[in-house]
Amino acid sequence: MSQIFQYFVNGLVFSSIIVLGSVGLSIVYSIADFANFAHGDTMTVGAYGALVTLPTLSGIGGELLGLPLGFYGALLVGMALAAAIAVVTELTIYRPLDTDAIGMLITSIGVAFVYRAALQATFGSDFRSYSIERSGPIPGIENALNVTITERATVMIVCAIVLVTALHLLLQYTTLGRKMRAMSDNPELARVSGIRTDRVLLATWVVGAALAGAGGVFLGLYSQIDPRIGFDLLLIVFAAVILGGIGSVYGAMAGGLSIGMVHEFTPLLTDVGIPIGTDYASAVAFIIMVVILLVRPSGIAGGEAT
Amino acid sequence: MRRLATDTWLEKTSQGGLYSRASAQPAWSQLLAVPAARVARLGMANSNTGSLSTFGQRNKRGKQIALDDINETGVLGGDLEIIEEDTQSESGPGVSAAQKLVNQDGVPLLIGAVSSGVSLAIYKSVIQGSDVTQISQNSTSPDLTNFPDLLRMSPTGAAQASALAGIVNEDGHGKVAVTHLTNAYGVGVAEAFDEAYGGESKLFPHDQGKSSYSNVITSMADYDADAWLFVTYQPEFTTMAQESYDSGNSGEVALYGSDSVKGPNVLEQTPEGSLEGMKLVAPSAALDQDNYKQFAQAFRDNHDTEPTAWSAYAYDAVVTAAIAIEAAGSTDPAEIKAEARGVTGPGGTEVFTFAEAVEALGDDGSASDVNYQGVSGPIDLDKNGDPKAFEQIFQIQDGEYVSQGFIAGE
Amino acid sequence: MSDSDADPPDDGAKGGGGARSAAEATDATDSPLEAARGTSGIGNRVTAFMDALTGPERNIVSAIATFVGLLVLATVFGVIRPAYLLYLLSLAGMYLLLSMGLNVQWGYTGLINFSVAAFFGLGAYGTALMSSSDAPILGNFPPILGLFFGLALAGILAVLIGIPTLNLREDYLAIASLGLAEVVRVFVTNEGQWTGGAVGLSGIPRFFDGWPVLGNLSRGVPTAAANLLLVTTFVVVTYLFLRRVHRSPWGRVQRTIRADEDLAKALGKDTYRFKMESFVLGSMIMALAGVFFAHLQLFLSPGVMLPTQTFYVWIAVILGGTGSDRGAMFGGFVIIAIQEGTRFIGGGLPIGPGPLRLFLIGVIIIAIIRYRPEGLLPPQRELVWPGASSDGGDAND
Repeated sequence: MSQIFQYFVNGLVFSSIIVLGSVGLSIVYSIADFANFAHGDTMTVGAYGALVTLPTLSGIGGELLGLPLGFYGALLVGMALAAAIAVVTELTIYRPLDTDAIGMLITSIGVAFVYRAALQATFGSDFRSYSIERSGPIPGIENALNVTITERATVMIVCAIVLVTALHLLLQYTTLGRKMRAMSDNPELARVSGIRTDRVLLATWVVGAALAGAGGVFLGLYSQIDPRIGFDLLLIVFAAVILGGIGSVYGAMAGGLSIGMVHEFTPLLTDVGIPIGTDYASAVAFIIMVVILLVRPSGIAGGEAT
Repeated sequence: MRRLATDTWLEKTSQGGLYSRASAQPAWSQLLAVPAARVARLGMANSNTGSLSTFGQRNKRGKQIALDDINETGVLGGDLEIIEEDTQSESGPGVSAAQKLVNQDGVPLLIGAVSSGVSLAIYKSVIQGSDVTQISQNSTSPDLTNFPDLLRMSPTGAAQASALAGIVNEDGHGKVAVTHLTNAYGVGVAEAFDEAYGGESKLFPHDQGKSSYSNVITSMADYDADAWLFVTYQPEFTTMAQESYDSGNSGEVALYGSDSVKGPNVLEQTPEGSLEGMKLVAPSAALDQDNYKQFAQAFRDNHDTEPTAWSAYAYDAVVTAAIAIEAAGSTDPAEIKAEARGVTGPGGTEVFTFAEAVEALGDDGSASDVNYQGVSGPIDLDKNGDPKAFEQIFQIQDGEYVSQGFIAGE
Repeated sequence: MSDSDADPPDDGAKGGGGARSAAEATDATDSPLEAARGTSGIGNRVTAFMDALTGPERNIVSAIATFVGLLVLATVFGVIRPAYLLYLLSLAGMYLLLSMGLNVQWGYTGLINFSVAAFFGLGAYGTALMSSSDAPILGNFPPILGLFFGLALAGILAVLIGIPTLNLREDYLAIASLGLAEVVRVFVTNEGQWTGGAVGLSGIPRFFDGWPVLGNLSRGVPTAAANLLLVTTFVVVTYLFLRRVHRSPWGRVQRTIRADEDLAKALGKDTYRFKMESFVLGSMIMALAGVFFAHLQLFLSPGVMLPTQTFYVWIAVILGGTGSDRGAMFGGFVIIAIQEGTRFIGGGLPIGPGPLRLFLIGVIIIAIIRYRPEGLLPPQRELVWPGASSDGGDAND
């Protein structure tokens, strides 16, 4: 029935956000070698970055795919801000630390709180929205395929595809990408063979955080912006990363897509009579994550190099 | 509960340690300075942040005007002060705020809260069984009627619900989808509506504070009703309106709302025209009374906008509390509690301002001597602690709320 | 970890910082309390006691003493009311209890448990559902039954969470336990017909409700004192119990697992079973804290199970020093100071209490890991096996 197709489309939209988060988290996890609990709040930083610059940029005329060009400018600002914050954090907080992966994990929790506190102090904790016109479902698609999807949703999907493709190109065809893959594979060997690991690490933070920032901007576009949205999404992003296998960008993409789909397909359960409501969508994702950890801890594509 | 002899002693010493705290100065400075005039202190649990922050702001403004008016005359020879704490529109922080006000600040009377759920939680967890009087400034759930000691200035939502049922019927809709919050307010008003409305209806509960309600909208759309009723708060309603628009549903159904979805932010943040024609019912103040007009003028002077009934209720809560203190002649909680209900009427000299009330009370008047007619109406708290109800109907026309008339409650 | 050969701590209620802790000395085998007993006269006793402490311990003890002293002064001058002071101390005691539970899991066995909030919440909800007059199911039973019910629920959940997660590597265990805790929270939030849902549960009676003397106390100082008495009892009982456990062969196996699990396995121990036992024990202690919380606040909402709650407890533990209960008490005080202290800031700073709280917590975590990862008061004398002399024992941790 067309409901399933609608769920699929919803899943594509939500997955775009998750994938941007999970891919970024996965490369940071594999190269910086710890679980970055501040990744969700990095996404929120991106969202707010775009929020403040959008009014200034909306003066630029023109539209692309139905959204004003100013939005894309704001998107870039959001990504840049997230990347900048991540670099500062790496240099001032993570690098001087001399502790194991668990210590870094706990530190990143502290960092997450600091990010969130700064955002809440500056912007307050009420919901905000981007001042972009809502235009309702796209009529052509609605008539042809009987599914509702808005312009902002199509932009999200397209941008996610563009960014992820760009990442793929970066990893496969550039020197930096080769170095990143080498470090992810075998850090010792990478260092010994002359790769400037601290520079590559910094670049990883930039890439990972920029993707997270983009995810955050789209998350804000998808629902609302408030200081908690990133952290609330963090566990789902972790679920996607673990599902896909830490260290594998392609695994993270697959994981993000799967988790996003599962999340949006939860209404199907009630449709077929299972009394698990959509409130449990995230719970379902977590349970899947735990099952994966039990059955195949290396994930879908785990263990492979990026 | 039986008071042990030690309790009285403990309470007296804990009123302020070794030094009296009746002064407004910080305690340490009392070692050095001569104590200032006595200050009567009340507590207020307000929703300054969270889903109900709009109401919180309205209350703050009403409270301030009340304090200004009251302190021109003074309470018990000194000033009235209100210690305000934020409930964050949630029960957990609300109870903490109340505990701080009652246990740490030792207030004899607490004005709180906005959300019915928070008011009830505060009552059951902190106030019940104590001597402290609680007056809710904005709570409208019918549930509060079941707690006679929980007084309120805002009328019960049951009046609103039956008004809404009447309008929906008049407009000829036979099938209604009602979406409501899962708290005391949402459930109370929705169920009251259900009872009053004769046609087919279904309830779609949703939780406060979520960032997306698209599944609720989808379910409601599937139910295929001619009319949708929203009993929720402004941020939640804004999200729903936006998502409804995104999924192509608005424009297809007639929209109705309870008082809590009405606010300028809602109109600003929803797509233009998407809410056109929506009808809402909200409690109304006594717009024709002189004291209301003065209140409205003061409000306009300070804030450049018309007051809402909610500010009027907050104003009345403060004034009622002040009159009760005067009638009791002290800040002793038990004595205030004995007077609080009665000062609002129905028996006694009709007074319209705090100054008039003080005059009518004279030197040793009590509650039955005075009948405060608030800026929000006659009040006249009944045995359940509920005031008389007046409701106003609005419709959104050309992006503005336009009044469509009044309905008096039972 | 709990002290090995220590005597029980003093009542934590009133300024007991100085005399609270006691353990073996690093150089000498006399415990500070024994050193104090060995002399006469108050002054000499205090001096002997302080001398027998190590440097860091002395600092912490002084810090706690000063802190409590300030609180007492503040009460005398009326800045803080006695009822509120007792309330704050009760909350600190509750965090101490939570930290002791986490210390069993993390300090003894090395399990990174990020589902603390779920056990805490289940303990609270268990007793609330049993005893509240408002509960959608059960209800109106005596709080004592609620206590057992809460602990039982937590134990069952611990087994359910433990089965899939206990053999995972550290960071996976952290993430998985956090995820499962969220599942519990979502469940409690959504199944309102059983739990009261997002609206919460009110009408929870005080723990001593219905007891002959304690049940009739009026609000204010008497009730606050009774609550403090209750949490202190819980803490003392737990402490004594853990002390025995720590000294037992079971405790030794746990420490071995933490240090080197493969070694434990090589020694023939079923490490999975031991980890599960530690996990369940820790979770029941956390649930005990939750039971206390329910009967303190008299109101519950699913918000108590948010991940933030778990992180607060972790901070108390790492701030104080992993494995150290005295340190955890200090950590608990700091947490309470942050939570309640920021409420009083009011209009002083440009930043509101909410974000200020988050900021302080974040900065403290970063600072601890950066400058003092072992915590402010890591286990001092517990490095020595119980009963071993200073020249003989092998260190662990």
